[in-house]
Amino acid sequence: MFTLKEWRRLQVIPSDHAKLFIFQVRQKREPMNNMDYAKGYWNPYVAGIALGLVLTFTFYVMGTGLGASGAIARTAAVAAHNVSPEAIEKQAYFKEFYREGADHPFVDWTVIEVVGVFLGGLISVLLSKRFSVVVGKGPTAGVGLRLFMAFFGGIIAGVGTRFAMGCTSGQALSGGATMVVGSWVFMMAVFAAAFGAAYFVRKEWS
Amino acid sequence: MGPLLYTGAISYETSLWLAFPIGLMFGFVLEKAGFGDSRNLTSIFYFRDMRVLRVMFSALVTAMIGLIALSYAGLFDYSVLVEESLMKSYFWPQLVGGVIFGLGFVIGGYCPGTAIVGAASGKIDSIVFLLGMVVGIWVFAFGWPIWGWFYKSSDIGRITLWQYFGTSRDAMALAILVMALCAFVLAKLGEKWAPYDK
Repeated sequence: MFTLKEWRRLQVIPSDHAKLFIFQVRQKREPMNNMDYAKGYWNPYVAGIALGLVLTFTFYVMGTGLGASGAIARTAAVAAHNVSPEAIEKQAYFKEFYREGADHPFVDWTVIEVVGVFLGGLISVLLSKRFSVVVGKGPTAGVGLRLFMAFFGGIIAGVGTRFAMGCTSGQALSGGATMVVGSWVFMMAVFAAAFGAAYFVRKEWS
Repeated sequence: MGPLLYTGAISYETSLWLAFPIGLMFGFVLEKAGFGDSRNLTSIFYFRDMRVLRVMFSALVTAMIGLIALSYAGLFDYSVLVEESLMKSYFWPQLVGGVIFGLGFVIGGYCPGTAIVGAASGKIDSIVFLLGMVVGIWVFAFGWPIWGWFYKSSDIGRITLWQYFGTSRDAMALAILVMALCAFVLAKLGEKWAPYDK
């Protein structure tokens, strides 16, 4: 783990610190209404239509939609497989990625697509000169709290994607657009739970 | 005639090659929508900026109408979707999974696809979120003796909303379009309400 000195250095990331300072200075005048981080993006409806066209094209080619969580599940399987190959090949859930005669779990449509997602995001972020190493969080929330919650929330979300067999891309968006019953159940449950729980984690985001 | 993979116009190997450019476009648009930043993703839950609702519903409606339009133009065989390629529905696992995922979303600040874009934008919290997700999937896998029976239970098959409600595909799509337009108006009102920022 970290020594105390290293931990302190981690908590003060220079660019993040500068942004925090700007936030705090401006916040005195107009609390919470300053959302500089939300500027410079496409109009949400334009972005939505563009995303919808990408999704339409995907269905036209594949007969199925976009995905993301499947690639992360396969990453989790491969990481565990590196530690203990035989146990994972027999493991009740992970064995579905290691069937007899099947390709490596990474030779998969969603995994390749997600590599594209990373590079596509990187191209956009570089073209818009938006790349910066920061911790995204509410202006007064601590970095330590935010990173802990990111990890904890990640664990919960990871479990959720496996029960639902998909996430916002595969279920809510792709299943939603093709009017799949289970996907709409999923989408409503996601938003109901998130709006309901938002109150309890408001310090993280304000 | 689409879907190309199902009508035999392209092979499985070709479809794997196409995954990459499709992913590039997906990631590019997600970033342009502002989804590489957890603050843009969670501000919907505090009625600060309903961007997530606007982007998601307009994308959903665009693709829904796009596929119906393609099928009327004779370019897309919608029956392949309904009979072969749509995801199957599992009522209770998807309801419970949705609640768990929604909690993870507002606590963690990302969903899986947007966390990948966040990582590409240099967001440290998104990388931590992704590591958490990997751990979460291990938790799910190794907790199998406890909840394995629940996974893929209440299988209601490959079923669409219009089949469930006993209406036509196009009437259902129209209802969803109207619902989306109402949601866009409500989004504007929600931002004016802003209950957390008074």
